[in-house]
Parts: sequence; C-alpha cells; structure tokens
Amino acid sequence: MPEFTPPPTLCAERQGLGPAGPFPAAPLRSALDRRWLHYAFLSDDGRYAMVAKSAWLGPPEVEDPPAGEPGERLTTILLLHDSAEPGRWSSSQFNADIGPGLPWSAFARPHPHHLPGQLSIGGRHQPAVSLKLHRTSHPCSSQCAFFGRHQHLRWQSETGVRGEGTFNLGSGPQALSVTGYHERVRGRWAWPNLGEWVFGFANDLGAEPGKPPRWAGVFTFIRPTGDAPHATASFMLWKDGRMRRHFARRATSFAVRGELPRERVTIAPPLARLLGVPPMSPIPRRLAISARQGDDWCVLDFDAETAVRIVIPSETSLHAFSVHEVLGDCLLTGQLNGERFEVKTRGIVEFSGGADAG
Amino acid sequence: MPAEPPLSAAALMVATIETLTRRAPAIVAAAGTELGTVRLVIHFGDGTRAALFCHGGLLVCEPTAESSAADVEAHFDDRSLLLLFDRSGLPAAESLEGSLDVRGTRLDVLAVWRTFRLLAQRASGLRAVQSLWLRYRMHAGIASATQTQPGSTDRRTTSTHWDLAHWPALDWLDQRHPAAQELIERGEPVLAPARSLWTGRKDASWQAAPSIFDNDLDESMAACKQLVVDEILRLVPNKRPRRDLYDLMRDYVQRPGKGLRPTLVIATCLALGGRIDDGVRAAAALEMFHNGFLVHDDIADESTHRRGLPTLHEAHGIGLAVNAGDAMHLFAVDMTLSNLATLGLARTLGLIHEILHMCRETVEGQAIELGWIRRNVVPRRDADYSLMSTKKTGWYTCISPCRIGAVAAGVTEPALLDRFNEAFRLIGIAFQIQDDILNLIGDTELYGKEALGDLLEGKRTVMMMHLFRSSPPEVVRRMTEINGTPRIGKPFAMAEEMLAAMHQAGSIAHGSALALELARKGVRRFERDLAFIPDNAGKGVLRQVANYVVTRAL
Repeated sequence: MPEFTPPPTLCAERQGLGPAGPFPAAPLRSALDRRWLHYAFLSDDGRYAMVAKSAWLGPPEVEDPPAGEPGERLTTILLLHDSAEPGRWSSSQFNADIGPGLPWSAFARPHPHHLPGQLSIGGRHQPAVSLKLHRTSHPCSSQCAFFGRHQHLRWQSETGVRGEGTFNLGSGPQALSVTGYHERVRGRWAWPNLGEWVFGFANDLGAEPGKPPRWAGVFTFIRPTGDAPHATASFMLWKDGRMRRHFARRATSFAVRGELPRERVTIAPPLARLLGVPPMSPIPRRLAISARQGDDWCVLDFDAETAVRIVIPSETSLHAFSVHEVLGDCLLTGQLNGERFEVKTRGIVEFSGGADAG
Repeated sequence: MPAEPPLSAAALMVATIETLTRRAPAIVAAAGTELGTVRLVIHFGDGTRAALFCHGGLLVCEPTAESSAADVEAHFDDRSLLLLFDRSGLPAAESLEGSLDVRGTRLDVLAVWRTFRLLAQRASGLRAVQSLWLRYRMHAGIASATQTQPGSTDRRTTSTHWDLAHWPALDWLDQRHPAAQELIERGEPVLAPARSLWTGRKDASWQAAPSIFDNDLDESMAACKQLVVDEILRLVPNKRPRRDLYDLMRDYVQRPGKGLRPTLVIATCLALGGRIDDGVRAAAALEMFHNGFLVHDDIADESTHRRGLPTLHEAHGIGLAVNAGDAMHLFAVDMTLSNLATLGLARTLGLIHEILHMCRETVEGQAIELGWIRRNVVPRRDADYSLMSTKKTGWYTCISPCRIGAVAAGVTEPALLDRFNEAFRLIGIAFQIQDDILNLIGDTELYGKEALGDLLEGKRTVMMMHLFRSSPPEVVRRMTEINGTPRIGKPFAMAEEMLAAMHQAGSIAHGSALALELARKGVRRFERDLAFIPDNAGKGVLRQVANYVVTRAL
C-alpha cells in the first residue's frame, strides 16, 4: 500500500505549523526548531520566586556535521529571587545541571495526579533547586501562533503545580513549599520574526497543601514582526484546578502604565554583562489585562517590583532576544458564572523582545 | 512637617510656576516659548486673579489687579482649574458648562491653550507639583475634579463599570488602581497615562515608551550628589591620620553643593543606555578632582569661604590644605582606576583619556587667568573671556562630565563624544557668568562664597571686561589701581567701589544678557547636536540642566 502523502493544501508544513500534531515526538531538524519546558514557582508565603527554562535546540546547520555529534542541544537556566533582598536575582549560566534523567514535566505521559516527581536544577552549584512536584490541576488545550515564513510557536500551560523542597541562593538550602506554573513549548522560529510577547500567570497562593489554587490565570500576548503581523492574545481562567474560561483574542485587552526604574532590572546570565548588551526599553511598571465574555469578566492587575533580563543570543540577527522575568504583586478579580472573586497574590510576567531592534 | 498650602487659586498658580522654574526648567522654557508675547490674566472661582506672561525667557506668574491689561482673559472655577492638573480625567470630556470661559483673539487663545496643555501634560507628572495641588485641594475642601461628575461613583466601584466601558484595561490603569493620592502618599510620582498594548484588534509594542520625559531637577541633582558622596565616603579610608587628612577630605566632600557634575555624568550615562551604577564611580573621581582643584584654587585666590563654610586653608592652614588637595587628586586617580573592575579595560582607558584632557584644559585656563591677574591686565574682548572660561571651568564643569558619562555607558566614538562639546561649552560659560553675577549681587548664604570675593581677588569676569572697555580712562586707571592692590589688605570699600562702577557702566546688565544669549544658544545646540540620543529619562535630566541656565533666577 503506498505511503499516504497529504495534499499540499492540507499540509501543516506549508502553513508554517511544523510537523503534524500539537507536540509531536518528531526530532528537531533545524537550528530554529525548539522544544522548551518552562517552570515558574513562588513560595507559598510569596517570598521566594523561581524561574527555570530548559530548551532543546535543533542541530546547527553545517554542511558536514561531524560523526557522533549530538543532533540536539540542551540548555537550562535557573533564576531565583528572595524578596527579602529585592532586586538581587541569583542566576546560573545557560548550562545549569538538570537531572538526573529527564526533568519532571506535567506533560510526560502517563502522569497521574497523585504521583510526585523530582525536579533538580543546579546540582551542587548555586543557585540550585531540588523540588518534589505534583499536579493539582489540568492543562489548557494547546495553542498556536504562526508568523514569518514557515514559523510557528505552540504552547500548553498548566497552573497549580505544587511542591516541596529546597531553594539554594548561595546561603544554603532553604526548605519551602511552592505553587506555580508549568508550560511546554514546541516550534520553529527566528527571534526577529517572533517579535515580542507579554506573558504571565498568577496563582492564588492561599490554597490548602496538596489542593489546587482556588483561582489562577494565565495570559499571552504575542506580537510578531513582519509585513503581515498577526498579533494574538488570550486569557485563561482556572478555578479549583480546571480551566473554566478561555477568553480569546477579541475578548481581551492589555494596557501598561509607567516604567520600572532601570536599577531594578538585573541582567542574566552573569556572562551577558560582559558582552556589552545594548539597552532595551524600560519595563512597564504596571500591566492590566481585562477579558470579558458574556457576563463573565476578569481583570489581572500587576504591579512590577523587580525584573531580571535573560539575554538570549539570536541565531539570525545581531541583537539578542531578551526575556524579562518580572516579579510583583498581583490582583486577580472578576466574575465567573455569577460568582464574584478577588485574589491578592504575587505574579510573574514576561516582557520579551528586542531581537529585531535596528 | 508639611508645607503650608497655597491659600488661594492665584497663589496656587504662582507657586506652581515658581516650583517649576526651580525644579523643571525645561518645562517652563517650553511653556514660555508657546506663550510667546501673550499676556494672560486668569480669573479664578475664588475671586483671585493672576497674570501669566513670558519675561526675558522666563515664564512669570504673579497676582494681579482686576484692571490689569491682558491679551487673553480666562475664567476658571475650582473644578475646571483642577482638571488642568488632574490626570485621572479628560478636561475636554468633563468640563461643565459655565465653568470655563476664555476670551481673546484666536491666535492668542490657541497660544494659551498650547501653554496649558504643555504644562498639564508635563508638569503634572512631578511629585512637587502634585503635592502642591493636593495640599491646595485639601485646604480648599475640593475633591478630585473627576469624582464630582454625577454617576462616576457607580461607574468605578461596581461591575456595571464593565458594561459601560468598552475596553477596560486602559480604564483600569488610568482611573482605578491605585489612586493618585495613594501614590503620592507612598512617595511615588503619579504615573503617566496608560497606553494600550492590545484592544482586541489593534496592537502596539510594549517597548514603545512615551516620548516626553521630565524630572524634578532638584530631586535628581540631590540624588546624584548623594550617590557620589556615598561612593567617595566608601572609598576614602576612615583611619589615621584622620584629624589632619582623611577627616578634612570627608568633611569637604560633604559640604552642600548643587551636584551639577555628578548629575551630568550619571544622566549622560543613563541617556546612552548605561546604568546609574556605571557612572557613579567615574562621577566620584571627577568630584574628587574638582574638590582638589577648589582647595588649591582657594589658596591661589586667597578666598575665605567655599560652599558656605571657611575654605580649607582658612580652617586648617595652608600646609594641611595643600596636602589634602593633593590627596584628593591621588584618590581621584585611584577611583578612576577602580572602574576597571566594573566597566572593564576599554571604558576605563576612555575615562582616563577624558580626565587627562579635562585636567589639561583646566590648568591651561587657570594659567591664562592667573597670568592676567599677575600682570594686572584686563582683556577687553568677551572672546578672551570665552576662551579662558571654556578652558578653566567649561570643560570640567559641563563638557567633560557629559563625555565621561558617555564613556561610562560604553560610547567612545570621538564623533559622538564631540556632539556634547559646543552645547555644553555655551551652557558652561553662561553658567559661569551667572555664578560671577551672583557673587556680585546674590545672597551670600545661597551662593556660598563671601560677597564680592571675586572683586577682592581681582577675578577677570565678563562684567569686569565690560567695565574696562566701556568706561572713561580715569575710571579705568582707578579700577586698574584697585585690581593691583594685593588681596590681603585690600579694603572692602574698594570692591564696593568697583561694583558701583559696574552698575554705572551697565556691566551687570551686559553680563546677564550675554549669559541668557549663550544659554539659549546652548539649548538650541543641545536639541540639534544631541538629537541622536532618543528621548529617555537620562536625556530628560540633561535637558533640564540645559534649561536651568535659561530660567535661573539672578
């Protein structure tokens, strides 16, 4: 029987959507193919914050790849912050140890809710984390943005990941309980084409141990560059571990106000400070996102306190891509099915961009 | 203890313009340009009146009588008055019938409208202005202008708000949370109006920062000076010999001062994308060089007071003062080199190059003036003064601080660094002439040096040169005789005699006019030559410094 070949009009590749399936097990084939796992946690008392990204990158495009050269490269960066010392972020380079084995992920299958898994980053170096994580919630459906020529980005988020373990910012392991967010990303993109994004989440930190946050929200705003940019946005609202509303792009609005003083922005990884990285625009001090759908509405109001700028080299431009991880107080309020809610908590927001500068 | 609130609307207006003149000269200069020759008289709802006009490049506001002549007359009741500075509302949308009336020719009214729009947009972001208006509002028992609108309470506190608002994220940030008063009480300036990133259809970049940056110059200069003083105190040893060396140095750097040089270094560094920390150590080195020069300069000039206190040699003797000045220069070199650890080799070499150039210009300028004094010569041309002043103070007061700040930010291209030269040369000379005038006619306590000290030491100022070239020969002979009298033993009456001759010859008015002309040229060159720097917070501070010379009260 001849092998099935999809007609060009149906072929996802032609639309820039990559191999079929939302998160296929297909290997990374080019330098622009990427697979990510993203972790962001806050200690339940709101004092400590952690952000970590593990990125598998496709093989560099060389004419004669050396035999035995691994096809994919794994990079991991870990950032920790202690609110008792505001503005002092502790950061690894892009080569933080992770493991042993594959890092914990809510998206590894099978993955029952009651089974905890281990996430260790940093090993014996500082900063380092060692967490036993478990899920309390369910992820959103996968989402996709496409842009440029044959470029795309898919992501899937899960709030309410909880855990116990230690953070080490350099003064010894600190035992704590955390609540946070986990995401997987798959795609093929060049940073200048991706343009910029504003992304973030907030979990109600007051839930009982082992239980899902009563309320949680995740938002995304992606603004690609190019001749025909297709900005997209969404706001997703979780209640008791289930995503209850997905406010789509037309139902959301984003606004910013003021600026975070540059003194509150740290550059990471440490080596980036030596490379003469050009400055970026000031981070907005306040961000509000509103969404409404029928009688349901929601507002997330974020007040930035401190930020760390992760400088990521761009494969296709001279300017680095920067992801600002911004930490601050957050108000999540709204109305769902006639129920009014208001949660004061801490949130983490990403303001990213900069590779297309100049 | 909180300051007294303005007691009337006219007093509020006068206090606002005075505050802006002192703290945000760039705003006052821009508003004065918009107002031009129009004289505006404002009638307030409480029965008081104030006139607003531009005089000699300065925006002036003063209480006035009912019969005062005016090109434009405006009537504001309390509500529309507050809308001027209340950023939570849109004046055009919320102005009520009968609360605002403006009379005048079309062009004049438009000039007034532009002036107030500029003041409202740019001045209302300053904490000092916000505090002033808040105090008046509380004193007069007037609530926020927008809160008096019927129905506004419902709109803000219930979910009905979301039915009424089309895209609420902007509304939320602009009108709801946190309130302006809460920000002021927390000591934070009220933020500029919100801007939209996404409306559901239209998108905008979060990196598109607003284009107007204004700051409170007083606060900026005080903050920059404090940063630099802290850095110096950290780097100067606190050990023996304390009493005869290190205490002298530590006390001297803590004397009150404007903080102009640290502000220029740090603001330029910020403007070109650096961080404050990158510029602080270089600014500290510059300040130490400056202090060393002052100590030695005071000995050479036989000055008795500096920054409101006895000069170092008056207080501790010439020997210890010379030694402390030498030590300051030594530590300045040390501080320059200590940038190696933070800025790296290339930028530190650039700093050394800039500082060496600055020192060479300064000693050359000092040599020119001391030579004139030694030979009892007074050059006749302002150009001679300009050359000497540029070398003696222009470089190390204005030009070099900017260039050093730029190098600290990583800019080392000579063509870019040279863009600072002409603008800040002109501003520096204007600043020096104004300082010289203040020594003649200013308040001794504010100025910090002894009154007429420049005349006692025979300093060659623009006013003295004007006096010599515009006076009859017998006056010139007498003035030469006064200049030739050694400072020790020179009677104060001689200085007063020369001051009277300067008044007689119009030399002080000449100096004022020349300073203003140079300052205006400097501001024009600032805008033209530094157009390559995008508007940002650092450039905003530089612009305020540039305009400070234009609006400085003499």
